[in-house]
Amino acid sequence: MMVSARRNERRATLVALLASMLVAAPVLVGIAYAAAASMGIAGAGAGPTSAARLIRVLNDGQTWAGLVWSLSAAAVATVAATAGAIAVAVCFRGGGLSDRMARALAAAPLPLPHLVAAALAVWVLGQSGMLARVAFALGWIAAPSAMPPLIYDRWGVGLVLTMAWKEMAFLSVVATALLSTRTAAAEEAARTLGASEWETFRRVTFPVLWRGLVPAVVAVFIFVVGSYEAAALLAPSSPLALPLLVAERSADPDLARRGDAYVVTLLLLGMGIVAVIVHEWVRARWESLEE
Amino acid sequence: MMHIGAAAVMSLLGIAGCSAGSRPPAGQATVDALARAPWDSVVARARGSAVIWRMWRGDPSINAFVDGWVAPRLRARYGVMLHAVDGQGPELFNQLVVEREAGRSEGTASLVWINGETFSNLRREQLLAGPWAGRLPNAAFVDSASPIIARDFEQDPAGYESPWGRVQFALIYDAARTPVPPRTFDELAAWIRTHPGRFTYDEGFTGTTFLTMRMYADIGGVARLAGGFDSTRYALARERTFAWLDGLRPALWRGGATYPPDVAAMHRLFANQEIDFSMSNNQNEVVTKVRQGILPSTSRALLLRDGTIANAHYLGIPWNAPNAAGAMVVANFLLSPEAQLEKQRPEVWADGSVLDMRRVTRSWRARFEALEADPRQLPRDSLEKYARPEVSPRYHERLATDWRAHVRTPAFSAGRP
Repeated sequence: MMVSARRNERRATLVALLASMLVAAPVLVGIAYAAAASMGIAGAGAGPTSAARLIRVLNDGQTWAGLVWSLSAAAVATVAATAGAIAVAVCFRGGGLSDRMARALAAAPLPLPHLVAAALAVWVLGQSGMLARVAFALGWIAAPSAMPPLIYDRWGVGLVLTMAWKEMAFLSVVATALLSTRTAAAEEAARTLGASEWETFRRVTFPVLWRGLVPAVVAVFIFVVGSYEAAALLAPSSPLALPLLVAERSADPDLARRGDAYVVTLLLLGMGIVAVIVHEWVRARWESLEE
Repeated sequence: MMHIGAAAVMSLLGIAGCSAGSRPPAGQATVDALARAPWDSVVARARGSAVIWRMWRGDPSINAFVDGWVAPRLRARYGVMLHAVDGQGPELFNQLVVEREAGRSEGTASLVWINGETFSNLRREQLLAGPWAGRLPNAAFVDSASPIIARDFEQDPAGYESPWGRVQFALIYDAARTPVPPRTFDELAAWIRTHPGRFTYDEGFTGTTFLTMRMYADIGGVARLAGGFDSTRYALARERTFAWLDGLRPALWRGGATYPPDVAAMHRLFANQEIDFSMSNNQNEVVTKVRQGILPSTSRALLLRDGTIANAHYLGIPWNAPNAAGAMVVANFLLSPEAQLEKQRPEVWADGSVLDMRRVTRSWRARFEALEADPRQLPRDSLEKYARPEVSPRYHERLATDWRAHVRTPAFSAGRP
């Protein structure tokens, strides 16, 4: 009996391993191809195998400026989306009509494609957009064009706002689900023991919510860093956001520079991997603290 | 020729199919055979087949012409199913390279819309089948004496591409907002300085064409850059053009700190009155965009007297085209006076014809002349007067690359090479 149970277990592990390999295979092939194209072995403009593309991209100020810009914009958008999602989940957790409506409103952008969200942002936030016209009509600004630039602007305000709004929908759904399933009993116990509302939030609600939310937050951050559509419509041309740099290099008039796109892609991938490693490390620390 | 290292990686990754060398590519083999066959047999072979046409799909009026006018006629007359799909310039080239790397001697697209730089890259990598263009019956109507059509950015098409349209660069302004527009580059510079924040150019192909025109003017005319790429002359011309841009930068839209990503964004900013000029590689785009309600009705096209770049666009057949016969039938149909006339109508696309009016019948000529009498179109004689041919695509390529490195991001420029 024991032997057959162990054999079954081993078989299940093997199947799981094979399944995960199957899922990972396209990604691994993609990474191998990107690595080959970075070295001039494959892809458009492939030439003599060398590290020239790697060196050129890593020595290019545009790459690092783009990286810093993309990471900062994504970080701000992710923080804003997370704060918004937590606020929605905590403030509107009841079963009443107004709470349900508030939650539904926060989740409304969820089915909207990012491209549509970005187009909406152009329409609302542009210097000739709805916001500028309303501000002009109310006499706040002398002309619609006097509106501070919110799209194609140096700080990416429009992009950050759009991504924060779009991702808050996803995070608020996760946060609401976490609150309704994981915190109720512990909160009740804290209140019975005499904790105030604020203490209950700080010591019980928020920690549970935050731990449950972190994987989704990391996923949102990585997604926003690499997201092309919204950046293409809203980001400035200098510094150039990293996904835009990839697209630009892959279509460079100079064939010899198209391989540079793969180097930047690998850099983006590296950022994603770093974020996942940091997340795993933090989670391991939490688990060890719990033990 | 596939790189040895690439072949090794491809087989390691398991994505290489049959070797590209094991069987002749579909497109080239068929083109060779069809070049010797009578036209009737080409048409017979195309009947009942499908043609995938990779083309720029960014303009609704062009899409409507292709999907709603060309495709039904091809189906009814030749039994050819035309499917236009998106893909142009660099993407198109990258796609064909990837197909070759994967050993796909039979690819997806049978027809591609190309010119200039893309034609140069495809030819250099031997990704086009040919020669075939000269054997199309309707090629007899083409204005082969025109330097704009007979040379694609100074390159001899050599039968590897067939012309199908001709355009000329124009600025777009709003006569209601700017009743007296500038007519030369110098006047334009003065206008920009007196109207800060109201002019810009895009980062894409159209914006680079605008800069190329300025470069021609800076070096004393396009003739000084003719005859292939000359790095010394290019460096001189670029310095002058970039100096001109540096001087104008503070007066540009957003102080020259950012630029619209493409010409569609330019049109939007112009229509929303954020800037006072847009631009187009097609002098007649203003006519169609006004009809579509995208641009204000008082919008007009403007040719700068320093000269504006004119070029033709072409159709090519990829080396691995699955249906070269069908592609030839499509290319031939697009060269017919009927299709050329339809394409030139202001309410359709307003794309210039590549036909020589002396070679078509009198009744067709009369119809073309009636079209050109449309007051919304620029008169043919002023178009001819200010038309300048393209020079080597290397100038355009280098200018685009250098602009990105030294004008768009001056903070990262330690000094120009």
